[in-house]
Amino acid sequence: MKQLLNIKNLHAEVAGKEILKGLNLTVNAGEVHAIMGPNGAGKSTLASVLSGKEGYEVTEGSADFDGKNILELEADERAKEGLFLAFQYPVEIPGVSNINFLRTALNEIREYRKQEQISAKDFMTMVREKSKLVELKDNLASRSVNEGFSGGEKKRNEIFQMAMLEPKLAILDETDSGLDIDALRIVAAGVNKLKNKDNAIIVITHYQRLLDYIVPDFVHVLADGKIVKTGDKNLALELEEKGYDWIFADQKA
Amino acid sequence: MRCAYISYIECNNNSAKLEHEATTSKIGEDQIFYCQQRGISEEKAISLIVNGYCKDVLNKLPMEFAVEAQKLLAISLENSVG
Repeated sequence: MKQLLNIKNLHAEVAGKEILKGLNLTVNAGEVHAIMGPNGAGKSTLASVLSGKEGYEVTEGSADFDGKNILELEADERAKEGLFLAFQYPVEIPGVSNINFLRTALNEIREYRKQEQISAKDFMTMVREKSKLVELKDNLASRSVNEGFSGGEKKRNEIFQMAMLEPKLAILDETDSGLDIDALRIVAAGVNKLKNKDNAIIVITHYQRLLDYIVPDFVHVLADGKIVKTGDKNLALELEEKGYDWIFADQKA
Repeated sequence: MRCAYISYIECNNNSAKLEHEATTSKIGEDQIFYCQQRGISEEKAISLIVNGYCKDVLNKLPMEFAVEAQKLLAISLENSVG
């Protein structure tokens, strides 16, 4: 099995405060991992550190992505290597159409991989095909990136972008937050269609509900900057029922 | 980006109240990071965001000014963050 992500003893801080305190995680191709945990445990920090957001300092440990030390790369280079982050709060970019945005992204990625630029015709065919995955409306092309989108549309747009960019590893940061049940199903179905034996998905969530639709191979509990427990999908059900306290009690025992 | 300006207001109405103001602001770091996370380099991201922001205004300019303004915007926007 091909190893995609290998995080060892990762320590990271924000504004001098240590958030990740020795995190270990290995993700292989073809796997879906869910990361759950109480508020402030470091879930979103992990997503930010891996994707290269400024303001996060790694003080110890390593993170290899597809054999490369990604901590040395710029944020855009990490994306070009095939790392995708579905944002918890997708950002609006007024005046920049979705199509222009995605075509720029796709062509930069292709250039990085020494592939030819995509033709306008092929690109539009791809847009039509992939937007069906998440049932996005046709007027998407002319609209600015996320501007005036409803919460559900923004999250669907994230998955649409994931479909267009075909990453090796996608991190979904609370993609289920703010979604009604229909939108949740659409988003989950889209993710499931994109899942294959060569890529991997990390789902960060507070709720077991999403994992009914995107079924994880592993569920990890992240607490106080470390993964303190790992199990299969049943662990998520147990957490839903019992909360997190019993895990901390187990730890102390 | 280095920027120099001279403020100048001419007024022929003695009851008018005028002020001048110039502000510069950082382009949203969140917007740049969002672009970068999709594989767009920082410089390209800044150009995309600035052009998008200015598009509404540029579209209303007479053609010759619009062309000129586009050209000015296309000049490297590197280091314009901060």
